[in-house]
Amino acid sequence: MSDGSRTPPLLEAVEVRKTYQLGATEVPVLHGASLEVRGGEWLSVMGSSGSGKSTLLHILGGLDRADRGRGEVRFEGASIARFGNRDLDRYRNRTVGFVFQFYHLLPELSVLENAMLPGLVGRVPFAWRQERSALMSQASDLLERFGLAHRLRHRPRELSGGERQRVAIARALMNRPRVLLADEPTGNLDSRTGGEILDLLAEEHRRGLGIVMVTHDASIAERADRTLWLRDGRVVEDS
Amino acid sequence: MVYASLLSNRYLTTRVIPLIAVLAVALNVALVVIVVSVMTGFLDMLRNSGRTLMGDVVVSHEIVGIPHYQRFLEILAETDGVTAASPVIETFGLVRMPYGREGESRVEPVQVWGIDPRTLAEVTGYTEAIYWKAPDPDRLAGMAEDDPRREAASDRLDEAMSLNDEGAAPAMVLGIEISPFNRRTRDGSYRPEPPAAWMPLHDVTLSLVPVSSGGRISEPREGRFQIANEFQSKVYQVDSQRVMIGLAEAQRLLRMAEGPLYDPNGELDEDGRPKRIGTSPARATTILVRGVDGMAPAEIKMRVATAYDRFLAEVRDDPEAKVKPPSFPDIQTWEERLRDLIAPVEKERDLMNVLFSIIYIVSAGLVLSIFWAIVHEKSRDIGILRAVGASRLGVLWIFLRWGLVLGVIGAFVGLGIGALVVDNINAIHDAMGDPAPGWSVAVAAALAAAALAATIVAAVRGSLMHGLVWSLTTVLLGLVAFGLSRHEGAVMWDPSVYYFDRIPSRVDLWRAGLTMIGAVVFSLLGAAIPAAKAADVDPVRALRYE
Ligand SMILES: Nc1ncnc2c1ncn2[C@@H]1O[C@H](COP(=O)(O)OP(=O)(O)OP(=O)(O)O)[C@@H](O)[C@H]1O
Ligand SMILES: [Mg+2]
Repeated sequence: MSDGSRTPPLLEAVEVRKTYQLGATEVPVLHGASLEVRGGEWLSVMGSSGSGKSTLLHILGGLDRADRGRGEVRFEGASIARFGNRDLDRYRNRTVGFVFQFYHLLPELSVLENAMLPGLVGRVPFAWRQERSALMSQASDLLERFGLAHRLRHRPRELSGGERQRVAIARALMNRPRVLLADEPTGNLDSRTGGEILDLLAEEHRRGLGIVMVTHDASIAERADRTLWLRDGRVVEDS
Repeated sequence: MVYASLLSNRYLTTRVIPLIAVLAVALNVALVVIVVSVMTGFLDMLRNSGRTLMGDVVVSHEIVGIPHYQRFLEILAETDGVTAASPVIETFGLVRMPYGREGESRVEPVQVWGIDPRTLAEVTGYTEAIYWKAPDPDRLAGMAEDDPRREAASDRLDEAMSLNDEGAAPAMVLGIEISPFNRRTRDGSYRPEPPAAWMPLHDVTLSLVPVSSGGRISEPREGRFQIANEFQSKVYQVDSQRVMIGLAEAQRLLRMAEGPLYDPNGELDEDGRPKRIGTSPARATTILVRGVDGMAPAEIKMRVATAYDRFLAEVRDDPEAKVKPPSFPDIQTWEERLRDLIAPVEKERDLMNVLFSIIYIVSAGLVLSIFWAIVHEKSRDIGILRAVGASRLGVLWIFLRWGLVLGVIGAFVGLGIGALVVDNINAIHDAMGDPAPGWSVAVAAALAAAALAATIVAAVRGSLMHGLVWSLTTVLLGLVAFGLSRHEGAVMWDPSVYYFDRIPSRVDLWRAGLTMIGAVVFSLLGAAIPAAKAADVDPVRALRYE
């Protein structure tokens, strides 16, 4: 896999194992899954339903923890398994950005507030007054770029699916993460809208964003630099 | 944690059900504020009445009395911190009232105070308590047109301040509630009905039982008194039982005046009569003492006790004084004197506080169950928050803060309601004492009709929930209208039970504050468990499915 470069990859999974406990029976999902994401690289991950794609993405993003043992996830060479809760929260907040199939916006917040949310995390009210306007303009710039300038005060339920997903991507990009982790970002959209979302991701990728995208659709996977397959709990490269 | 504030504020304004918890907390706080304020006000009134009834410190030696009390008064007059003192004889007697069937007359058992009106007025609120007096312009303004005090005129009225003590026609002042002909009106004034039953036009006979300094009872003695006036101390128990006569007259009737002292061993002199060995001094059973304003009663008590010791020593060293004062009279502050009355009320108030804490647990349970459901419903949002980097503590704080704000709002709303009710409690009570006015029935009926219309609209639109809510509202308002139309008036604050003729109406801010803190703490406790559950939400599971 390595093409000879000596600098560590941006994000890598090394022999990651994940076993779910269902009562007395163990359900092994990942057993020794490895992958590398270089800075600014766009990866597609494909695999049959239930093969563990979402699980792998969650582990990469520090939302879930891999089994203790040999395997680990490293960011810039540092194992995130050794992060404390605080650093892990910070990792999710600053380093990676999640995009989900079902958008997952907060219904009580406006579009602008949803997009700003990662910016609010970790801010204390004391310093907030000065940071507020900077964050707001940053979020509204992003939303504007995604064609949502006229939607800032709307609630998520007033938006179409495609618009919601753009808000979700704006949210994921709010804190300028290094890697975007997208779990079937177009899975719930028609192909035209899905295409628009992919154009948008391509634009961010062009600006230097690393992307790991899970998808079922080979034509979508094609847009990535590389496509990996998850089979029997292991990652295999498809070239 | 800015996002926590943002979200908890947003939840607060977008959800109706948790406001039920606010309402529960508010009602709870209002209830405690009202009950505790009334009880505290009641205690304050007891205490204040204590001071206006008997000054700061009371020195007493019941029945037998304190001989040479005049010397004690002289010493008290020189004592620092004591501004006035007044001798009193407290006893019981029977008054034959001027009314009753022909040929027979009503006899009332009464508590008799033999007083020196001039000094008593310095120690207590005696002057203010005298009920019938020529009204000054200030007082006139506040009196009803037909208040009999406007016309009250009798040569005798002013004798309340002298009681004609040692005069030809000794006078008596009656508690205003003793005569059953004094009708109390809504504005708190009294009307004699019929007017001929106005007490200061009549005479009474008082019988007292003398007790010697040795404690022996002798023949009851009678005296005829003119009723000079009536007094209102505003303490029902006093107003309905006590009569005042002159100190000298009381001493005469009770054989407590100065007189010859005979040999207690029964030795006879040359003429075969009991041998006179000196003079028996006049006695008073009670000395009321007033201290400097603002001095603690305990401090005044200490000084009075010191003064009494000096008095004892002086009399002991006086060979002329054959009868010695008691070594250990009761020296009590008014608070200690009213202990029997005050202590149970204080206990009851504490008990109330404990009982209400149980209601707090109920409202905490309400917050808990509402929040539990919301956390369950919001678990996906919690997962999202965790995914964008929110800490578990931050998630916890969203719900804790929400509970806190609910509690604080509830506490202040409750304080507002409670204060409003307490401020107007007498007006409310008076209004409840009357049949409900026609307009209130009409308003309730109109509201019920409006709710009925809303029920019909909801039924037409096919909304089961709105239909149910509105029909329940209709029934409730209908019941209110019906209840109001049938209401004939009820009196809950009976002065014969509660001593005072008005319900205390000042908010006990200190205890209200405590109860508000309690409300907030319990709301927080109720929110804590769901909040902890929220912090425990596994983001992966929460985000897995739509
Ligand atoms: N909490 C859990 N307990 C037990 N098994 C679980 C749990 N979460 C996931 N699994 C199992 O782990 C396996 C992988 O799930 P995952 O969601 O990662 O698959 P996926 O590749 O994303 O599938 P899809 O393409 O349908 O989204 C599935 O078989 C699933 O049933
Ligand atoms: Mg999946």
